Amino acid sequence: MSGSKPDILWSPHHADRYVICDSELGLYRIGPVGSGETKAGALPLSVETAATLLAINSDTPYMKCVAWYPKHEPECLLAVGQANGRVVLTSLGQSHNSKCKELMGKEFVPKHARQCNTLAWNPVDSNWLAAGLDKHRADFSVLIWDISSKFSPEASVAAEKIRLSSGDTDSGLVVTKPLYELGQNDACLSLCWLPRDQKLLLAGMHRNLAIFDLRNTSQKTFVNTKAIQGVTVDPHFPDRVASFFEGQVAIWDLRKFEKPVLTLTEQPKPLTKVAWCPTRMGLLATLTRDSNIIRLYDMQHTPTPIGDETEPTIIERSVQPSNSLIGSFAWHPTSQNRMVVVSAANRAMTDFTVFERISLAWSSTTSLMWACGRHLYECAEEAGVGGEGTVEKDIATKMRQRAQSRYGHDMVQVWKNHLLAGGDDPQLKSLWYTLFFMKQYTEDMEQKQQGSKQALVYSGIKNIVKSSSGTTENRRCWSGSDRQTDVPRFHSEERSLALRLCGWINRGPDINVEPFLRSLEGEGEWERAAAVALFNLDIRRAIQILNKGASAERGDLNLNVVAMALSGYTDEKSSLWREMCSSLRLQLKNPYLCVMFAFLTSELGTYDGVLYESSVAVTDRVAFACMFLNDAQLPRYMEKLTSEMKEVGNLEGILLTGLTKDGVDLMESYVDRTGDVQTASFCMLKGSPGEVVKDPRVQCWIENYRNLLDAWRFWHKRAEFDIHRSKLDPSSKPLAQVFVSCNFCGKSISYSCSAMPHQGRGFSQYGVSGSPTKSKVTSCPGCRKPLPRCALCLMNMGTPVSNCPGTGHGTGKSGEKVDLTRENKLAQFNNWFTWCHNCRHGGHAGHILSWFRDHTECPVSACTCKCMQLDTTGNLVPSDSH
Amino acid sequence: MFVARSIAADHKDLIHDVSYDFHGRRMATCSSDQSVKVWDKSDNGEWNCTASWKTHSGSVWRVTWAHPEFGQVLASCSFDRTAAVWEEIVGESNDKQRGLSHWIKRTTLVDSRTSVTDVKFAPKHMGLMLTTCSADGVMRIYEAPDVMNLSQWSLQQEISSKLSCSCISWSPSSSRAHAPMIAVGSDDSNTAYSGKVHIYEYIENTRKYAKAENLMTVTDPVHDIAFAPNLGRSFHVLAIATKDVCIFKLIPMRNESAVGSSGPTKLQVQILAQFDNHNSQVWRVSWNITSTLLASSGDDGCVRLWKANYMDNWKCTAILRGDGSPVTGSSSQAAVPSTAGGPQHVIHCNLCYLSRCSTLCSQADVERTCPWSLPSSQRGVPWSPPSCPADTP
Repeated sequence: MSGSKPDILWSPHHADRYVICDSELGLYRIGPVGSGETKAGALPLSVETAATLLAINSDTPYMKCVAWYPKHEPECLLAVGQANGRVVLTSLGQSHNSKCKELMGKEFVPKHARQCNTLAWNPVDSNWLAAGLDKHRADFSVLIWDISSKFSPEASVAAEKIRLSSGDTDSGLVVTKPLYELGQNDACLSLCWLPRDQKLLLAGMHRNLAIFDLRNTSQKTFVNTKAIQGVTVDPHFPDRVASFFEGQVAIWDLRKFEKPVLTLTEQPKPLTKVAWCPTRMGLLATLTRDSNIIRLYDMQHTPTPIGDETEPTIIERSVQPSNSLIGSFAWHPTSQNRMVVVSAANRAMTDFTVFERISLAWSSTTSLMWACGRHLYECAEEAGVGGEGTVEKDIATKMRQRAQSRYGHDMVQVWKNHLLAGGDDPQLKSLWYTLFFMKQYTEDMEQKQQGSKQALVYSGIKNIVKSSSGTTENRRCWSGSDRQTDVPRFHSEERSLALRLCGWINRGPDINVEPFLRSLEGEGEWERAAAVALFNLDIRRAIQILNKGASAERGDLNLNVVAMALSGYTDEKSSLWREMCSSLRLQLKNPYLCVMFAFLTSELGTYDGVLYESSVAVTDRVAFACMFLNDAQLPRYMEKLTSEMKEVGNLEGILLTGLTKDGVDLMESYVDRTGDVQTASFCMLKGSPGEVVKDPRVQCWIENYRNLLDAWRFWHKRAEFDIHRSKLDPSSKPLAQVFVSCNFCGKSISYSCSAMPHQGRGFSQYGVSGSPTKSKVTSCPGCRKPLPRCALCLMNMGTPVSNCPGTGHGTGKSGEKVDLTRENKLAQFNNWFTWCHNCRHGGHAGHILSWFRDHTECPVSACTCKCMQLDTTGNLVPSDSH
Repeated sequence: MFVARSIAADHKDLIHDVSYDFHGRRMATCSSDQSVKVWDKSDNGEWNCTASWKTHSGSVWRVTWAHPEFGQVLASCSFDRTAAVWEEIVGESNDKQRGLSHWIKRTTLVDSRTSVTDVKFAPKHMGLMLTTCSADGVMRIYEAPDVMNLSQWSLQQEISSKLSCSCISWSPSSSRAHAPMIAVGSDDSNTAYSGKVHIYEYIENTRKYAKAENLMTVTDPVHDIAFAPNLGRSFHVLAIATKDVCIFKLIPMRNESAVGSSGPTKLQVQILAQFDNHNSQVWRVSWNITSTLLASSGDDGCVRLWKANYMDNWKCTAILRGDGSPVTGSSSQAAVPSTAGGPQHVIHCNLCYLSRCSTLCSQADVERTCPWSLPSSQRGVPWSPPSCPADTP
């Protein structure tokens, strides 16, 4: 320890006090931040703790090392080793009782002046203070002083000499006669008393570690090593000692002192401090020079049977208490894994706890479990407690909720699926409306027996307009206005179809947007309605809508202003109106209001202001394009928009791509972005069978979605999904997996119900098959031999179950009655065959179930099979049933 | 406001790993006390320890579940140089009523000469396979050729690297477009060896795994690695716990010409995010089921949750303190003393997490009549009562 580099000592008895020593000694008290105790001048150590400076002592210059008196009384007695080899007793703080006063300022002076390297109080005989000094010719380097020894007259001559050399005048307190003198002709760099015996002192000498036994000072045990610095005993394991040399730490076992039991990985820089954690078994902290990390070695003292040559398990880790370089650190004596760190430069202190390494795992239902130390903690995403609801729910939570609300299953009113999804996602809304319009159109076509169009409608507007032929252009003038300008509008059968898919017009040959406008008005989308009216060249209607919107409940009065501006429309190329509208429209917040003016101020045939306004719904832009772009422009625009949609995975683009390979590409980037395989699966299943569904990517989404449902134990939902899927994609229907054959003739006994589609995939392993009630046969249909008997009612299988199953065993629980009435609903199932695959005993499902409600063993006499417990998954309950 | 619920774990030493089963209703923990504990979630959401047994003669580093399709199977690995496969035998237990189950050792994998640092089962579509990696830098791939016989495992391949291995992760993708893939991380502390993460891919032709990628940018020791659940995505996402939390995106280059697949797929590697918020070594990373949430833990004693927005920008959405204590001053942005902005200081938690109160419905009573809780085969294979020959149409 040099004068500039600080060190920390924790008080041996006060868990809230420590001393920092660099050029002076500073006593600090640590306490919680903001508590009454801590004064305004408190230094923050962490978020929760702060330190208060209690006392400063700068009486002892040339400090080299400090040791804190280990006993309670006197409380704040410190021994300071100086550069000239003297050891001075000093104190910090207020407690100046008689004993302390007597000791205060006492000096212990070696014969020859040289640096004092280390000090150690004997923990038992607390009067004994060991000091380790540099070498001076043949002099001793380890001196043990007795602090209670009185000034000795025979030593006064020597003391006189010292006094002369150092100019000290305080003669009364100088002690020059040590109790023991050890380590002749050597230097001592570190010292510690061994807890094994109070008379044993371990010293790091010049080139060896030595154990001095004070009972027989002529003897010492020693081992030659370079690792002689910073000897320290593990407080939890009195025979384990650590010492270091340069960057290497050696761990010694005093019972096998010949060589270190372990050397830790060498650090590139020299070590400055090594300390065992007093609160945790086998944890050693090390610090190197000019470093901002503390390296920790967790030595797990686990006996391994493999043999002596194996090293103990060591978990090595480093912690970084703060960003600045660390001067020194000290473990808190009682608080678990806690230390205070002082920086090398500016004496900045940090209160720091070494945390245990945390391992963690997510469950399939998005709850998080972690293990910290010996403890486990669990937490889960709490749906909808977000307060302001600013944080969007995770897609996993969303998919779970949507699965429970039967999202995707509405096959008639397809658009309603977006409501089942929560109704707050505009992309999903657009998607399901698109699919709805496609389905509606297909159904219309089926009625008219026009199969060819059916495939076309699912291939998306991009392909529909591509096949467009016979486009007619007609110039229409503004209705409800006296303007004369004609706006060219394009018509074809395909374009009408496209408008229909966009939802602008209904079935029928006429282009009549009035119903669409009304529905928009009904939903309060005034701006959008006005824009649609305007695009249909009905400026009067647009104004009317805006007025209505302004006067509506919670309407925006500004809409009147917009209406006013609209009514001033002029087609003069250089009018003030045009000029102002072009510049001011960009300040309008609502995109629909913005595109209205963009439309009015644009040149004929160039509508980029409308077409590329990305906050306008894709359906509206596509519909607009279908009305106003010519046959050359339209496919180009569609192509561009499609690739844009594909790029970002915007589901509104399904309108353009349809359920084609393009659509799968688009969906792929949607899934890449969101992970929403649920929407992807349901959407792709709506496509014309056999094409997109066969795409390996689609199959992959479906499998992933089914896997999710299984992981959530939404087995009923998974089964419903499979049913739904097999309706739309018959090729996915699984084959029956269980065949029950007759004991006698070997033929299947289930021929009578082979047509029954009751087996979903994955269920069949649970071993149910057989005849429903309508089949009265109790014998094999092949050889007419009777079927096996139910183990409980002893009737041949195939006999319909009576209404009182399983009561013959006299359990007579009241709960059974209730269950029976419920079971009546399941009468069909009660008749099914079931058996244990292990002992092969079985019977009617209803009987077996009620038996195992009260029993664990098989109902057949002398069979000890625990049929019901064979499969843990079987004991799991689906989490989605009602 | 976040309050974590503490569970009395009753391990006698540090818990090194915690692992959920496929359904999230069972959990396994392993510890330096050389034991593994299995926990079952009751209907009211409480975790009950249903088994605890000594598994190894050293610290148990990791424990992991096989897919339930293969039965109730666990694998553990330890400092004692072995990995072990365990199976639950319910039928033989005599007091299932008291909620105790019996686990027996099916095999011990003794090939490693040093501490086995990680063990992972392959995704279920590949059959019953597992990999181990060890401190001497060897990764081993084992396969149980017969899924009904868990005591026979054949060593399929050994891959050695000069760096000590600390963690492995299988790519969970079941898409046929993706070849099976394993990532291995090394905790070698020498930063001079760059590329602490190696990715191996299965080559159909040679039936061996070959190195597909070496993440050269990762030079610090890697403590944990996790492929994100693929969920039908076209690319892979890999989270790495090193001095930062790193998220890599691996895009397989669709090279139509290389149909023969004689070599590994070229991967385009992008780094999506890199966070030093833990301000210290990151210890573990874990993905949720949709790979939209990442949890990480670090030496700062905190658990952090990460989430991406629609632009693929990852952000920290919550900081949870490792000892479960509530985050101080979380009612508002805590005023952090400017001089002591140490890394351990928890600032705020803006995702609202509450203690888990059984959100899963518990209709145990109703579901007794569920047809599928009948005694049944442990493994989903077609079968027929043995006396009757299978009647295949």
